[in-house]
Amino acid sequence: MRTRRSHRLLPLLIPAALVLVLLIYYPILRGLALAFQRYDMFDLSDTGFAGFDNVRAVLYDPFVDFGRVLLNTFFWVGASLVAQFTLGFVLALLMRERFPGRGVYAGLVFYTWALSGFAIGLVWAWLFNGQFGLINDLLVRSGLSETHIGFLARPRTAMFAVIVTNVWYGIPFFGIMLLAALQSVPKELYESARIDGAGYAMQLFRVTIPYIAPTIVSTTLLRTIWIMNFPDVIYAMTGGGPANGTNILATQMITTVFKQYDYGKGAAIGLIILSILLLYAVFHLRVSAKTDEVI
Amino acid sequence: MQRLRGAIFAVMVSAILAAPVFASGGREDDGIVELNFLEVLTSPGRTQLIRDLIAEYEALNPEVRINLISPPYEQADNRLTLALNAEEPLDIVEVRDYTIKQFVNNGRLTSLEPLLAEWPESETLLSITLQAARTVDRTAYIIPQFFFVKALFVRTDILAELGVTEYPQTIDELIDMSIAITDPSSGQYGFGFRGKAGEHKFSDYITISNVADISSEDIYRTESGEFSFATPAAREYLERYVALYQQAVPPDGINWGFNEQVNAFVSGTTPFLIQDPDTIGVLAGTLEPDQYAVIPLPVGRTGLAYLDYGFAGLGIPSYSEHKEEARDVLTFMLSARTNARFARGYGALPIHATTYENEAYFSTGVYTAWRDMLDDNPAYRFVGYPLASAQWPGWDQVHTQTMQALLLGQMTIDAVIARWVEYWSE
Repeated sequence: MRTRRSHRLLPLLIPAALVLVLLIYYPILRGLALAFQRYDMFDLSDTGFAGFDNVRAVLYDPFVDFGRVLLNTFFWVGASLVAQFTLGFVLALLMRERFPGRGVYAGLVFYTWALSGFAIGLVWAWLFNGQFGLINDLLVRSGLSETHIGFLARPRTAMFAVIVTNVWYGIPFFGIMLLAALQSVPKELYESARIDGAGYAMQLFRVTIPYIAPTIVSTTLLRTIWIMNFPDVIYAMTGGGPANGTNILATQMITTVFKQYDYGKGAAIGLIILSILLLYAVFHLRVSAKTDEVI
Repeated sequence: MQRLRGAIFAVMVSAILAAPVFASGGREDDGIVELNFLEVLTSPGRTQLIRDLIAEYEALNPEVRINLISPPYEQADNRLTLALNAEEPLDIVEVRDYTIKQFVNNGRLTSLEPLLAEWPESETLLSITLQAARTVDRTAYIIPQFFFVKALFVRTDILAELGVTEYPQTIDELIDMSIAITDPSSGQYGFGFRGKAGEHKFSDYITISNVADISSEDIYRTESGEFSFATPAAREYLERYVALYQQAVPPDGINWGFNEQVNAFVSGTTPFLIQDPDTIGVLAGTLEPDQYAVIPLPVGRTGLAYLDYGFAGLGIPSYSEHKEEARDVLTFMLSARTNARFARGYGALPIHATTYENEAYFSTGVYTAWRDMLDDNPAYRFVGYPLASAQWPGWDQVHTQTMQALLLGQMTIDAVIARWVEYWSE
């Protein structure tokens, strides 16, 4: 009976499967295949198999310092993730408490997550503007700085500016996810902990964090993947500059595909990103599993 | 039976989902020819302008219907590339100077030489219109629809307050004046610098206009085949360009694009700005006409200014099934009358010499700067970028990165020049 029913249902899955194959699996496989193919829009007369030529061309590009781009990527992901997680966690802890207007406040705080990354980049580029930017205006008026600072004029300050923007953008994600997890922690656990004499810090590290650890693991993993694949803010604010100072793998991929029209090389960068993320995911999940055992 | 019914249902749903992929233009049963026209420089005002011109054409030619396809600006070049390579039904395409070479290389565009030969209005085209049309293989694969040529925008009111009433005629004067009026303590700087995305179009003008005998086909080569920036004059003016940034530009000018440049001009922070004619439309809402003037670009020590010209034109895909009808649309869209209307609405320069004589809008006011430069003035030479070179697509990134490193003091002038020569020697 069950088999007959599933036989009848099977054809109904075809449209969904077709959409999945066409819109998800085909582009992924095509992207991977492109990485091993000569596919430069400038000349499509020879689009044959290229082996690892594209990957080599990216790694040893004499005009784009790949090592620097890789370091920028790690710094961008690491700093953004730590700051987003920490502030998002603090926000979630604060939002857990009941106070008047909490719903409205939550709406206001979380709305940034709904904005387009590119638009955010444009707005923050103006906020950081060296002449007319609000941030410079506040710094000078408050006496914290005597002169205007060209945040986007130097590689280090530009990296700081794009990370601040990304952190602002990403806090709500952790806020929302961790708040949901926090609300699922049974109150009885805290009561027992209190009876046993645990203070706030003890409750946080012995009850709250272990209980929501699975959410922390999955959200940090997801967020790492997203930040690494998130060129929007950087592209809008600095275009990867000045002097390669904020160029990450994702922005370099956009430049290679949309400015240089070299789809093969662009796909090779995509392959490198995918490989790094796969390694990271395996490492992240293994370490998390070990930590779980310890807890 | 039920399984069969399920399978048929699934196939039908799949067919409905896939249907738009196969939609196409062509000849309909009622004898109307449908042409697909893809534009790439999409913006709301410009798209509406093209729609109006198409409506005018359709009113005159009821047997033709034109579908305008307007992909978002950021994706349009890629959309066109993919559409042409997949031979999607297209009959008229807008092609930019930067991308034409790849389409010709891949055999996707029809030669328009026969059209130029038989079209009476081709005689009134500017010489740079023909030069631009024949960018690749000296054959016209597109006909430009407009030009962007830079000129010097001057904030006359701000400069008057600063005691400057004579405007720069030479690049040296422009640099010296910009430095002289700069006073960071009062927020006053001189020059509206371009630091990112396309910055070489600005630095090239300043450095290379001081080199004699630049090839008209390749701004990076002299007539004798030497690299332009490897000459002593280019090196000297690259040094002056760095001094201009350090002494007449706010530090974050290194990260300025079009918006920041124009904003600094409007606020008066930098009263000198080199820009294209579409800036006039942007300034119209913020500055009064008596607050600024537009003058021809200052010349280099050679007495010359090498002018780059940006353009996009209309072409016909090689596989179009309606080439005859498409050619007729092109002659309408590119006629002096239609083109003047288009150029005025878009804020660009028209392609016919007669427009600069007959249309008051282009022969008076701020446009006189361009009329003077375009009117066979021996001081202004139009030179092309090596758009046909395989090195061209990657050049913007290499130039921007090395130039920013030079301005930040991370690289020396000699190291930068060596890098550029190395790049173009590959």
